[in-house]
Amino acid sequence: MNAPFYKFGAFGDEASLVIAFVIGTGFGFFLERSGFGSARKLTAQFYLDDLAVFKVMFTAIVTAMLGVFYLSWLGIMDLALVDLVTTNLWPQLVGGLVLGFGFVVGGYCPGTSLVAAVTGRIDGMVFVLGVLAGIFAFGEAFPLVKGFYESGDFGRLTLPQALHLPYGLVVFLVVVMAVGAFMGSGWVERRFARPAAER
Amino acid sequence: MSTVPDAAAGAPARVAAPYMNPYLGGVGLGLVLLAAYVAMGRGLGASGAVTSFVSWVVSLVAPGHAAANGFFAEYLEGGLGHPLKTWLVFEVLGVLAGGFISGALANRLSRTVEKGPRISVAGRLGFAFAGGALMGIGAKLARGCTSGQALSGGAVLNAGSWAFMIMVFAGAYALAGLMRRQWR
Amino acid sequence: MTEFTNTRANHLVDPFLQVWGWEIPVYLFLGGLVAGMMVIAGGAMFADRQRRAGSVLTLLPGLGLVLLSLGMGALFLDLEHKPFVWRLYTTFQPASPMSWGAWILIAVVPALLGALLLNVPAFLRRRFPALTALSEALCAQAAVVRAIAAANLVLGGLLGIYTGILLSALGARPLWNSAALGPLFLTSGLSSAAALAHLATRDRSESEQLARADQRFLQAELALIALFLIGLLTATQVHIRAATLLLGGPFTAVFWVGVVGLGIALPLFLQSLAAGQRIRPTPVGPLLVLAGSLLLRFVIVHAGQLSRWGPV
Repeated sequence: MNAPFYKFGAFGDEASLVIAFVIGTGFGFFLERSGFGSARKLTAQFYLDDLAVFKVMFTAIVTAMLGVFYLSWLGIMDLALVDLVTTNLWPQLVGGLVLGFGFVVGGYCPGTSLVAAVTGRIDGMVFVLGVLAGIFAFGEAFPLVKGFYESGDFGRLTLPQALHLPYGLVVFLVVVMAVGAFMGSGWVERRFARPAAER
Repeated sequence: MSTVPDAAAGAPARVAAPYMNPYLGGVGLGLVLLAAYVAMGRGLGASGAVTSFVSWVVSLVAPGHAAANGFFAEYLEGGLGHPLKTWLVFEVLGVLAGGFISGALANRLSRTVEKGPRISVAGRLGFAFAGGALMGIGAKLARGCTSGQALSGGAVLNAGSWAFMIMVFAGAYALAGLMRRQWR
Repeated sequence: MTEFTNTRANHLVDPFLQVWGWEIPVYLFLGGLVAGMMVIAGGAMFADRQRRAGSVLTLLPGLGLVLLSLGMGALFLDLEHKPFVWRLYTTFQPASPMSWGAWILIAVVPALLGALLLNVPAFLRRRFPALTALSEALCAQAAVVRAIAAANLVLGGLLGIYTGILLSALGARPLWNSAALGPLFLTSGLSSAAALAHLATRDRSESEQLARADQRFLQAELALIALFLIGLLTATQVHIRAATLLLGGPFTAVFWVGVVGLGIALPLFLQSLAAGQRIRPTPVGPLLVLAGSLLLRFVIVHAGQLSRWGPV
C-alpha cells in the first residue's frame, strides 16, 4: 500500500506543486485535444447534435473510477486517504443548477475557459473575467449566504454509502450505464443532426 | 517574428486539425485524473485557483477587508507561504501550458470569438461575461466546478458530486432553448 | 585596549540577509539582457549586417542604452547613500566586483554609442541628417567597424559575467558561492537577448538565426543550471543545505515550474516545433524566455539571501 504517494510522504509540498504543474499540462492538453477550447463544440451538447462533452466526461470518469477501484482492490491504493469534498447537498444542488445556466449562457466552464483563452478565444478570456467577478461577488456576499453554504452537510458521503450498495456493484452499474448511454448517444446525435447546410 | 507569410516561404499550409475521438480524449483525461489521485490523493480543479487569485488581489487592495471576510481569509491561508502557491494554481499554470501546446500542434490557435451566426460579437461577449459570473457563483456554492466536482468527485463516486453533475446538465438543458440564438 | 568589530546582531544580516528587494534582480536582468544584446550586435557587425536595412541592428544599440539606463536607475534606487554615488567613479578597486561593475557599466556606453552610430535608426536619421553622413563614413572604414564590434562583444560578455560574479563573490551566502553563476547569468542574458531580437527583427534569415541561437543558449542554460546545482551539492554541508532551497525548500516550485519549466523547457519545445515547421511561429516562446530570465534573477537573489553559514 503506497498510493496516494503524497499521503505516504513520498515527496514534499513544494514537489507536489511541480507535480501539479505536470498533471495540469496533461489536463489542459487533453481538454484542448477533445475540442473543449471551443464554446460552440461545448454547447453543441445541449442541442443534441454533438454529445462530445458527455462522451469525454463520462469516459474520463469511468476510466479514473475503474483505475481507483482496481488499485484499491489490489491493495496498492488506500481509498481512505483520498480527499473527498464534503457533500453539502442543498448548495451543491443549487450551485449545480446555476453552473448549468452559466455553462449554456457563457459557453464554457472554468477549466475549459482557460484552455479557450490560451488558444486565443476572446470570449474565453471574457468568460474568465466573468468568473473572477462572480467569485468576487460570492465572496463579498459570503456572510449572507454562509448559512445556506454550510447546510445539508452529509460529510464524506459516497454513492455506495448513500445507496447502501457495495462499492464494486456501484462501479459496475456506472459502467453499464455509461456504455448504454454511449450507445444511446450515437442514436441521439443522428436523430438531432443538423442539415449539412446549417453546419 | 518574421512578417514574411508562411506560404511565400514554402512552409506547409496550415489547416486546423480535426478533434481527437471523444472516447480517446476521455481516456486520456481519465488517466490524467487517475494520475492525480495516485500521486496526490486528490482530483483536478480550476475554480479553486481562480478563487485564490481573487482573494490575493482583494488582499492587495484591501487587506483588512480580506482578512475579515471568512471566505477570502480561508483562501489566503491556503497557500504555501503565499496565497498563490497552491496546488490548483500550479495545476492551472499547467492547464494553460498544455492547452497552448495542443492548440499549437493542432493549428487551432486563432484570435477569434466563438459564436453562432445570429448574434453579434458584443452580444456574445456580454453573454460570456454573464455566463462566467454565473459559473463563478455556482462553482463556489457547490464547492467546485465541472473539473473539480463533476469529473474528480464523480470518479470517486462522491454522492454530492453526482447530484451536482445531474443538476448541471439539467440547468444547461433547461436554458438551452432560450440561448439558442447565441449558438445556432 | 582591544577593539571589537561585531557585525552580527544586525537584523538585516542575521539570521538572513534582507537587504535586496526587487531593485537588484531587475538590474541583474536588464544588465544581462543588455549584455546579450551587445554580444549579438557585435556578432552581427562582424557579419557586416550594419549595411542591411531592416536588420535588428538598428534596434539593439538604442534599446540597449534605454534598458541600461533603466537598469542603472534600479541600481541607484537600491543605494543606501544615494548622494555619494559619484564616489564609485573616483577609484578602481581590482579586488571588488562592484568596482569592476561600475566601470564596466560606464565603458559599455561608448561601445553602445559606437554601435548606434553604425546603425542609425530611421527616426534619428530624419531628425539629424548629419548622422547619416557620419554613419556612412564610419561604416566605410572596416577597421572602425571591427573595433566597435569587438568592443561590443567583449564588454557585453564582461557585463553578463560580472552580474553573476557580483553575487558569487559574496562568500557569506553559500547559494551564490558558485563559479557557475557568472556564466549562468551571461547565458541567461544571451538567451533573453536572442529572444527579444528574434521578436523584433524583420529580416527572415536573422529571425531564423536568432531562433537557432536562442535554442543553443537555452540548452547551455540548462547545462549550467545542472552544473551550478551539482557544484553546490558536492561541496560542504552548508552548500548542500543552500542547494536544498531549490531542491525541496521554499523556492523549489517557483524555480522548477517558473524558471526551468515555463522559462526554458517550454520555449525550447515550442521553438523546436516551430523550427521543424510543426507549428506556426509564435511569440509565446520568446516572451516566456524573457519572463523566465527575470524570474531566475529573483529566485537566485531571494533564495541566496536565505542561505547562510550559521546553524540551521
